[in-house]
Amino acid sequence: MATVTLNQAQKTYTNGFKAIHGIDLKIEDGEFTVLVGPSGCGKSTLLRMIAGLESITDGEISIDDKVVNKVAPADRDIAMVFQNYALYPHMNNYDNMAYGLKNRGYSKAEIDTKVREAARILQLEDHLDRKPRQLSGGQRQRVAMGRAIVRQPKVFLFDEPLSNLDAKLRVDMRLEIKNLQQRLGITSVYVTHDQVEAMTLADRLIVMNGGVAEQIGTPIDIYEKPASQFVAGFIGSPAMNFLKGKVSDDKKHVTVGDGVMLDLDHDIEAGRDVTVGIRPEHLELLKDGEGRINAGVRMVESLGAETLAYLDFGANADNVTLRLQGTHQFKKGEKLSLSVPVDKIHLFDIESGKRL
Amino acid sequence: MYQSKWRVFSNHTILILGALFMILPVWIAFASSTHTREYVFQNGLQFWPGAEFFQNYGAILFDASATKGRVTAIEMLFNSMVLGLGFAIGKVIISMMAAYAIVYFRFKLAVPLFWVIFATLLLPLEVRIVPSYEVVANLGLLNTYTGLILPLIASATGTFFFRQFYRSVPDELLEAARLDGAGPIRFFIDILVPLSVTMIAAIFIIMFVVGWNQYLWPLLMTTDDQLYTIVIGIKQVYNSLYEGGQIPQFPKAFALTIMATIPPVLVVVIFQRMFVKGLVETEK
Repeated sequence: MATVTLNQAQKTYTNGFKAIHGIDLKIEDGEFTVLVGPSGCGKSTLLRMIAGLESITDGEISIDDKVVNKVAPADRDIAMVFQNYALYPHMNNYDNMAYGLKNRGYSKAEIDTKVREAARILQLEDHLDRKPRQLSGGQRQRVAMGRAIVRQPKVFLFDEPLSNLDAKLRVDMRLEIKNLQQRLGITSVYVTHDQVEAMTLADRLIVMNGGVAEQIGTPIDIYEKPASQFVAGFIGSPAMNFLKGKVSDDKKHVTVGDGVMLDLDHDIEAGRDVTVGIRPEHLELLKDGEGRINAGVRMVESLGAETLAYLDFGANADNVTLRLQGTHQFKKGEKLSLSVPVDKIHLFDIESGKRL
Repeated sequence: MYQSKWRVFSNHTILILGALFMILPVWIAFASSTHTREYVFQNGLQFWPGAEFFQNYGAILFDASATKGRVTAIEMLFNSMVLGLGFAIGKVIISMMAAYAIVYFRFKLAVPLFWVIFATLLLPLEVRIVPSYEVVANLGLLNTYTGLILPLIASATGTFFFRQFYRSVPDELLEAARLDGAGPIRFFIDILVPLSVTMIAAIFIIMFVVGWNQYLWPLLMTTDDQLYTIVIGIKQVYNSLYEGGQIPQFPKAFALTIMATIPPVLVVVIFQRMFVKGLVETEK
């Protein structure tokens, strides 16, 4: 059981590219932390820095208050699960799991106990004699997890472990990972670009962008109070709607699109130009004439359990997405009357994108 | 793929003709090696085997005088085997290790060094044969197996193939092994070597045959009959064909030729299986 502390950890590649711009983070004992962000945001680099596979060019990373900057990966007492499993193809699954223990000088009997225990937890007992290639993707990923848990490491690191699996299996494995982590109580860091995985797995979420941690918080915090326009747009599906707006003189309203007025409950100066963010699921459909907003339907997508409608908010605005439960039969061009609860309106600075 | 009967027939005809074309000379050599030398001398090359198989092969294998030298075919086969195996195994080991260093260790000049190694492909043995001979002679290694094998075991071809192969091994395997506590030597022995079995078999086959067929180098290196390889032995027997007034030793020369071809063929046949098996297994 362990804590992981990052103190201004930075990574600059020899070609001068700065992948990680100084990150401060304390991962508590037993916490499941998820690093999420678009491709190239540095999330994998950060994970590999914790693993010791990438050097730390500035700042410090400590595991259990011991600085590990110069400690070899094998001596950090961590285990990692890779996206493409990285199982040794010539060894059977038993040996794959046992290899790390063998190198650490465990006795045959100890190795056997540990491997069989891990196999039992992961339901791999029947597959120990087989080679990895004889298993399905999900089973292979379980062997890879087995290889991680047999060592009972201080920290688990997951590098997009589910990206190679099909959608259904991904959901199953997601639950399995969460379950396993809670049962074993091992501090974990998990990298993904899939925000559903991020939201469901994380005790704490770190949204990264361009080598910077844009926001660190619980998934619900981040969903409800995104710190920036980037985070707001990245977390949540379909993505948050962004509209150009202007705060009214009495500070009680903001005008978006072609003169649509929305109520405001922010402490903000009058007449300021802002970006207004509204989640598709926070737009409420009202009876004709009751809502502040009137918008025409451009397109409808029916998913069965929910309906997505793309609305016309005027010539200056992009499509605005509306997400409703159940099925709705909208016609193209039909005018809808909508409103947004005042506490569901997010305002962001036009320049910096910071939350206002 | 659909093929008409005519197509199948013509394909097979071409195939069979090609096979016959390749096999016939070998067959004629074999058939001619089973007659008495007087018979071959009088009647020319033979298509059907004669009755002297055991007589001729026995003599050539175990009786040094039959080859006009002081060495039996069995000894020459042994020498060739030592040369072929030493050559092939040495090349595989050296080139694997060289490629391992080039691919997995970040040291200065790794890339230029690789290209230097690669450039030596342009220089055949014959170009450096005099200086090589000089070095070996100064080291006192003339007429030794070491001298015969050592100067030949650096292999640019092998290094190149292993380099290409290692580069295709996913980096994650290395990283997983590092996390599993495997150092450079462990990783090489536990992971890389088993993964390379197919490559090793392929390079071993090629190199064994090349080594077995070495002619110029052993000829220069060995003045002692006891170290003659079978390829040199054939040449010696042919040389003796026209010496003296005797009837030439055609059948025995043919017998030696046949024996010289058998080990490489066996190596190819045996390792080919491994090679194909390895291919099929890693493919999945």
